Amino acid sequence: MAHPPTANPVAAELWRLFRIWAALLVLGGAEFAASYLPLPRSLRPLVILPGALMVAAVAVGFMEVKRGIVLARTFAVAAMFWLLVLLALGSADPLTRTDYRVPNAQVR
Amino acid sequence: MASAVHQDFQYSSPSHQAETAIAGMWLFLTTEVLFFGGLILCWIYARHWNQAGFDAGARETKLWIGTLNLGLLISSSFIYTAGIAFIRVGNTRRLIQCCSLTLLLGLAFLGLKFGLEWHDDFAGHLFPASADFKIAGPEGGGARLFFIFYFISTALHGLHMLIGIGLLIWIIRRARREEFSALYHTPVQVVGLYWSFVDIVWLTLYPLIYLVGRG
Repeated sequence: MAHPPTANPVAAELWRLFRIWAALLVLGGAEFAASYLPLPRSLRPLVILPGALMVAAVAVGFMEVKRGIVLARTFAVAAMFWLLVLLALGSADPLTRTDYRVPNAQVR
Repeated sequence: MASAVHQDFQYSSPSHQAETAIAGMWLFLTTEVLFFGGLILCWIYARHWNQAGFDAGARETKLWIGTLNLGLLISSSFIYTAGIAFIRVGNTRRLIQCCSLTLLLGLAFLGLKFGLEWHDDFAGHLFPASADFKIAGPEGGGARLFFIFYFISTALHGLHMLIGIGLLIWIIRRARREEFSALYHTPVQVVGLYWSFVDIVWLTLYPLIYLVGRG
């Protein structure tokens, strides 16, 4: 592993893919381990963060979004943008609403 | 057959045709992101109001199967992309080997997910519409919502896996007929994008189903 093959273009590409695969396994392990952290229930979605890095690694490493054509990058960025809009607008209500407890006697 | 360049009349060059096909797949994947985005939004919304029930449901899932499946899909994407590297230098034999191994890993995923995990879930009274649902009490409603999300999301992902497996078989058959070469292998690249996207969907579902509710 100390001397990665670079003379052969296929070997160099396989070496690059192998490193991405290894990084994905490490990130998956980190995500798995993070799920055992004693986080409060409301903060537990933070264990998804290594998963977000894994998604980026697959997109950049295997799907070649950075090396690919400009139009592909545009679609990838648009997908992330509209996904953020969807999730931000959709979750704005539940995440900002204040609940007031009502005694059972007042419930009609 | 198409061992040299591949160009239909409406394109200015073979590379123009290849770029159009790849851009078309990316556009399709953009719509898929929004399709699964709605599912993620459902998870955020339902979990926010039913955190205890969602956690109770997540603790009933088979973590080892989900984690093993994560490894299988990551490895399958790696192997398929290695196949693309081989066909870029015209090595069809290695491409077929990589596609076949990817196919086997995909089938292993489906076997574990639907043959073992879903079977255990149904046997363990975890189907949310069943009268004898396993989780009762104040967490029962939230747990049912969790398992509605679980069954719908894994079924949709499984459907995408099935389509991907069909595409892999199509690529293998065409590769055996020597239709791909170093000069023309656009369908291999396009199917690779789809397969990696299916991997990404599982990378997203895995923590939502198995990890967030544990601990």
